Amino acid sequence: MNAAPLLSLRNVSKAYAGIPALRGIDLDVAGGEIHALMGENGAGKSTLIKILAGVVAPDSAEIAIDGKGVNIDSPAGAHRLGLRFIHQELSVVPTLSVAENIVLGRPYPRRAGVLVDWQALNRVALGALETLGIRHIDVRQKMARLSTGDRMLVKISSAFLGEDGAPARLYVMDEPTAALTREESERLFKVLREIKASGNSVLYVSHRIDEVMAICDRATVLRDGRPIDSGVLSAITHDDLVALMIGRKAGEAYPAASRLPSAEVAYERPGLAVRKGEIVGVAGLSGAGQTELLRAIFGDPAKAWASGIAYVPKERRSEGLVTSRPIYQNITLPHLHAQSLGGTWLTPRRERQFATRLGEDVRLRAAGVNQRVLELSGGNQQKVVFAKALGGAPRLLLLDEPTRGVDVGAKFDIYSIIRDMTSRGMAVLLVSSDLPELIGMADRIAVMRDGVIVTTVEARGLSEEALLNLCYGRDAMAA
Amino acid sequence: MLSFLRRYGTLAGFAVVLLFFAMRLPDTFMTAQNWLNITQQLSMLMVVAAGMTIVMVMGDFDLSVGSMASLSGIVAAILFTLGFPIWLAVGVALLVGLLGGVINGALVSLVGILPFVATLATLTIFSGAAFVVSGGKTISGRAIPEAFGEFARQGLTIGTATIPNLTIVAVLVLAAVWVLLEQTTIGRRLYAIGGNVEAAYLSGVPVRRLKLLAFALTGLSAAGAGLLYASRVASANPTQGSGLMLNAIAAVFLGMTMSEQGEPRILATLIGVLILGVLDNGLTQMSVDSYVRQILVGAIIVIAVSASSITKSARR
Repeated sequence: MNAAPLLSLRNVSKAYAGIPALRGIDLDVAGGEIHALMGENGAGKSTLIKILAGVVAPDSAEIAIDGKGVNIDSPAGAHRLGLRFIHQELSVVPTLSVAENIVLGRPYPRRAGVLVDWQALNRVALGALETLGIRHIDVRQKMARLSTGDRMLVKISSAFLGEDGAPARLYVMDEPTAALTREESERLFKVLREIKASGNSVLYVSHRIDEVMAICDRATVLRDGRPIDSGVLSAITHDDLVALMIGRKAGEAYPAASRLPSAEVAYERPGLAVRKGEIVGVAGLSGAGQTELLRAIFGDPAKAWASGIAYVPKERRSEGLVTSRPIYQNITLPHLHAQSLGGTWLTPRRERQFATRLGEDVRLRAAGVNQRVLELSGGNQQKVVFAKALGGAPRLLLLDEPTRGVDVGAKFDIYSIIRDMTSRGMAVLLVSSDLPELIGMADRIAVMRDGVIVTTVEARGLSEEALLNLCYGRDAMAA
Repeated sequence: MLSFLRRYGTLAGFAVVLLFFAMRLPDTFMTAQNWLNITQQLSMLMVVAAGMTIVMVMGDFDLSVGSMASLSGIVAAILFTLGFPIWLAVGVALLVGLLGGVINGALVSLVGILPFVATLATLTIFSGAAFVVSGGKTISGRAIPEAFGEFARQGLTIGTATIPNLTIVAVLVLAAVWVLLEQTTIGRRLYAIGGNVEAAYLSGVPVRRLKLLAFALTGLSAAGAGLLYASRVASANPTQGSGLMLNAIAAVFLGMTMSEQGEPRILATLIGVLILGVLDNGLTQMSVDSYVRQILVGAIIVIAVSASSITKSARR
């Protein structure tokens, strides 16, 4: 590595309302390096990225690019310094075309000075998609018609668009593969390697340890707002990295079941039966009807909760939580009838006790049940959704992607909660696109294709490959 | 400093306004009599704004409250001319308000029309109905029973002060809405709908039924305000409630600047109503032209709401 690192951060600190989010972060990214930024939810990754992007002002920071001290005071300033961002949240304009979304924020090619040269615009956009090897997206169609994965690809390709004046030096990517398929991710990784070969760098934020081990050179792990350097990743193991992240030795990825499911059926419908204490996994390619199955079982929410069916929806922010409200009010919302006087008069003290007890059950880390949900990290928000679901001691728990976007530590907590519930006789239906999770947690796995359950298999001894083949319908090749 | 300004800026502004009037009008402004006057002048607005707060908690609006207030006054007055007893005429007028509110609620929650559009349509319908029923005329004089007009002129005498009946009604409505929003499961669920309607629905909150109820109560309160107004002027005409709607929404917005999450709260709405009422009272006493008054009130709303949103969006 040559003299000065491409990006050097020294002593970056930031506190929100007196609570430190970052405490003196030092971080170097060398030229031609893919550097991973890891850490549990709430460890300070987002804050650090926002500081680099010029969105958040640090309390203190020395930032140098190619050895020269710089001051990032606005998103435009960050752009001029050659920093490019691919954020986790998709910020796209659905009503504009794919091409317009790619060129958004930059001057459109003109004809006669005033008219937009649409052909040139589409060519530019096509070129940007080419860099990722994408040919299946029509740049003239509306963004709204694209799948989530395709939208992410468009967003990513937009960051690679060539530019005059401020050449890109460092790409900061926040969970870019969260919505991508394996093939799409592979294409992205190929581009990342090309960036690396050209001497530019990537700061790569991800929860996916396998991914980080495969493509990154080094990692910086944030824990409680402090940085830990992993050293060269090729010299350490997967488990070492997990241990760095959670601050303890990584044990089993999935807690073991303490007892077998009972023979008594808790829930039954044609093609599906869940026994008391049993976890039935639901596998399938994306859009095979998993969410629809859960919604069909759930039916009318008011009746479902009353009859002992609880639901943890896929999108915790938009479907699971009223983030502007305190934790306890979220937890008691489906149980207000029981947690009030005569179903009418609020009893906040009783509600808080109820919520505090459930919060302890799910190992919720919060300042108290009066804290607003939006102040919690993603993992703790998900625990609030769980506490809410477990409040009425349901007989059937419906889980839709319960660990998506949740860090390693919180994941294990959530698995333990699920095990705990089944040992008390609760029946669980678990939809997940994480195949190891399904195999590790479920007793049996129902495989869905085109909206119907095509087969149900024992999870014990099932290989990931066999399960994937079942999802694709290549039964003959299975096992 | 910024967060202080955000939470308490509106209150501080209110204090400045009070101080200003107290200094400019030393003999008349800070007197018990003037404050009883203010509360009486405000009573109609308070009742409408309290109802408006209920729907705005869910993130909805009701634009039809002003024309509903006019309509309910007209309905009562027409029934008086037909010789109905006061209690029956008042009861029917309130029922009309409830029914109008149910129609709004049904359009919003069952048909699925945006509240803005639905209540804009019913605004026109209620207003038209008021004209049709009254023949476009003001109903006054002997047609209005004396006791009905007397209600607004009398009050509860405690010692030397007389608390106007209108003020008492407004306080009772305020208290009822406070209990509903802050003390009952209905209020909690309305706030959940306002915070995230999808999450509320999936948590078993009966969204449609509650929307219907909320709009019905808003219609009822609008009709109540219309009756207070009719009693105060001992007459009814088909446009007399029209100014209430914008002021009610303005009062709720002023109140929302005081809450951290920008949620409407009923006691904050009360402050909003007081700000509007005090400005109106003080500027009138200083003989400021009523159109200039409108400009000033509008400017103050813009200042309060933008001060709160600027401080919110400031770089953190």
